[in-house]
Amino acid sequence: MTTETLTIDNESDFMRSPEKVMRLDRMGSSFPTRLSFMRTLIRRMARENWKFERTRREVDKDGYGLSIYAVTTPHRTYSLVGFTQKIPDEMRTDRVIAEVWDATFNLFDGVPTQDDIDYLANNTPKQEGGRYRPSELALARANKSLRVFKNAVDSLSKGQQPDFDLLKSVGYLMRTSAVYGSGKFGCADRAKIADREECKAPFQMELLTVYLIRWFTIDSVEELAKERGGKKAVKLNKTSRQFIGVGNATGLGMAPFLLKHPALIHNWVVAKETALARVRSIETPLEGTLEAFHKSLLQVSQHIDEWNVDDALQSDRILCLTDEIQALRIWCEDELNISRPYPWNGIYHFVEDNFSLECQEMIVSLIIEPHGLLVDDLAETMSTNMIPKFDADMSLAQLKEVVEDSYQWATNIDFSLKESQHHFWYYSEDKLEPRFGSKGVDDGVEQEMPLAIGRDVSELNNLLSVTSNDISISEFVMMYPEFRHIIRRIQNTFLRPYSEVQDNLLSESMRPIDLLRFKLAFFGASKFDPKSDLWTRVSMYQGAPMPDQLSQPNYDSWSFPIAERPNHILK
Amino acid sequence: MSKSYLKISLNEILFYFTRAASGVDVPIGLSEDFARSNIWISENGFDPSLVSLQALDNLDSKTSSLSIKFEKANEDPHLFCPENKLLSALKASVSCVDWFEVKGSSSQLKISNVDSPFLVISALGANKLIGLKVLWIDQDKNNYQVNFIDSEEWEIVSSSTNPIELSSNADIFISPIESDHIIHKDNSIKKFNITEKKLEILNNGVEVKENWQEIYDYFSRCLVKSSAESRASGAGAGLVDSD
Repeated sequence: MTTETLTIDNESDFMRSPEKVMRLDRMGSSFPTRLSFMRTLIRRMARENWKFERTRREVDKDGYGLSIYAVTTPHRTYSLVGFTQKIPDEMRTDRVIAEVWDATFNLFDGVPTQDDIDYLANNTPKQEGGRYRPSELALARANKSLRVFKNAVDSLSKGQQPDFDLLKSVGYLMRTSAVYGSGKFGCADRAKIADREECKAPFQMELLTVYLIRWFTIDSVEELAKERGGKKAVKLNKTSRQFIGVGNATGLGMAPFLLKHPALIHNWVVAKETALARVRSIETPLEGTLEAFHKSLLQVSQHIDEWNVDDALQSDRILCLTDEIQALRIWCEDELNISRPYPWNGIYHFVEDNFSLECQEMIVSLIIEPHGLLVDDLAETMSTNMIPKFDADMSLAQLKEVVEDSYQWATNIDFSLKESQHHFWYYSEDKLEPRFGSKGVDDGVEQEMPLAIGRDVSELNNLLSVTSNDISISEFVMMYPEFRHIIRRIQNTFLRPYSEVQDNLLSESMRPIDLLRFKLAFFGASKFDPKSDLWTRVSMYQGAPMPDQLSQPNYDSWSFPIAERPNHILK
Repeated sequence: MSKSYLKISLNEILFYFTRAASGVDVPIGLSEDFARSNIWISENGFDPSLVSLQALDNLDSKTSSLSIKFEKANEDPHLFCPENKLLSALKASVSCVDWFEVKGSSSQLKISNVDSPFLVISALGANKLIGLKVLWIDQDKNNYQVNFIDSEEWEIVSSSTNPIELSSNADIFISPIESDHIIHKDNSIKKFNITEKKLEILNNGVEVKENWQEIYDYFSRCLVKSSAESRASGAGAGLVDSD
């Protein structure tokens, strides 16, 4: 292959439909792909030869104080400014309502002056309680995994490597519990940086912040070990360094974002589905790709072995996945199954016909993975700066047609049933923490967040069905202003068919965690570890190259990371 | 965030103003448009809380209304409030934008008794409706003319020294800008370049002053009181997380 990307003529024949993809159960089975935003960022770092440097570390013997890590891109420098402090163990919580954290950070746009650092020292440790400026691109915090952090410092200070089983079971030294950007608490608006090449893909500055936090956590344990052990102390070995990620605890805050940015979500999904369709439409496999896929099945088996969670439902799904990957490996070993035309489509159909959603979505990631030259250009299509407009010129007849054609999933739900309107979403006065309530149980129905897309469409449809086509939309919303928002949404989503979650988000059986996993997978997170239906822990950047490994030839090979590479896949 | 004098981001304008309008029972679709208008106000260097507080207060005290009617008297299109109240600019602005989106900028419109004319201006600006002039004389007899010249520039023409953002209670006339419009010698012109000002705002933030606290108070009506139960279970995660 000589060209940068291949053009596929018939990829649309292989696209999965929105009705199949945008369902909560499938969304809640998502895995990261090579188009995930962390992967995009790492590729850019390597391609543009970004330079990383710790520029300040002014901490006491326990590691409390100030650290600054700078990254220089071809056009500018960004600095992670971090503050660490001692906190009482009983105040360590992943919730938004936390008041103190082990470490707090800002990503600063440029190189901060001493005045900037003094300003941040008075604000960053307060997180939501502080105020930030357009010079701050992100705000974040992290707490230690006490067991792993302590074991790592103790071991390294004695000249030993940390307990690898313990490290493997947790996967990180510290866990972030929020990473804010895009104008939150006074930080820079996205519009300030949206035209910068390195910021065009979604969430790049937030994920750069997390990448630098990962480096900070590793640097911190090594420095603390040196402080304690002196000459006896050693650094983490290469395997451990690369395996260590950053934890993240994600709660309900992510869910409203997904629902409030339908055009963006469409772009994410259509890019991933196009990538899949391009691969499925290959008649004769590209050289080396089938072999790479076979190896990835072995690696992913180990990844699944190392993916241990307490949640009973997810544990069952992981067990099932283990068996299914094994069965797929056996199926793929039969030449007859693989040597036919369109082998990727064959693999996809075999998995879709026989295995769980969890397995189907994992295979989607695995078959896309060896096709970077074919799909990586799609990463550039995953953002949008579209502001949804109300189209007063649309006729009521057109609107009725659109609702009928594109919103059947909503109009088919019977919202007169109590279980169809069981839940509601709201902001608590407690630090504006997003919460999920049950009608008749929790207060706050009157202040419900406007996220009931299906119900609002259904109510609009009921009214439209008894309204004459003779009036215009502008007259209609003059009479019924309560439908302006949902009409605007419909007008801006019907041509973007992957923009809506095609399920009832209020139903009794709805699990917000499905939305969280969907979004986190697009970020590139792995090892989903549900703690309830409302929040999950994940690992970010596990297996990703450290700054000093970005120039290595395999810098982009870190999907489905494993703690140690077994001999049979070393080649 | 309830501080009375601070700099906020455009994203915060969107977040807080949408919900502040919901706090006075404005339907969410109108609240979204109101917040977008406030972003335009901010991008042009005005304090959005100064502009918008009066309109929210009027709705809250029921001095103004969201009720609106359209009529065509003597062929002149006209929007007005059918109740004996001021017409809320939150409703007047979206109806006015809808009118020009459909009819184009060669048409004209009269809107009667609008409580905050500058919110109508901001809605036209936020929706990039160009080639229009907007005229009004407010209750204090100040006269204003706003011209939307092109996608980059707009201007205020006025003999008044009173801030345009505080102008209130007026009949508004919107029509196409004539190619040879004449500026009266008593009037001063203030020109705005949207791109330049927006860049400045993105680099410095939006300054909001003493009225911000009241906007925040309206926003706070959208928050639900926390109870021991909702604190423990509403967000799922535990209250202490040590591992």
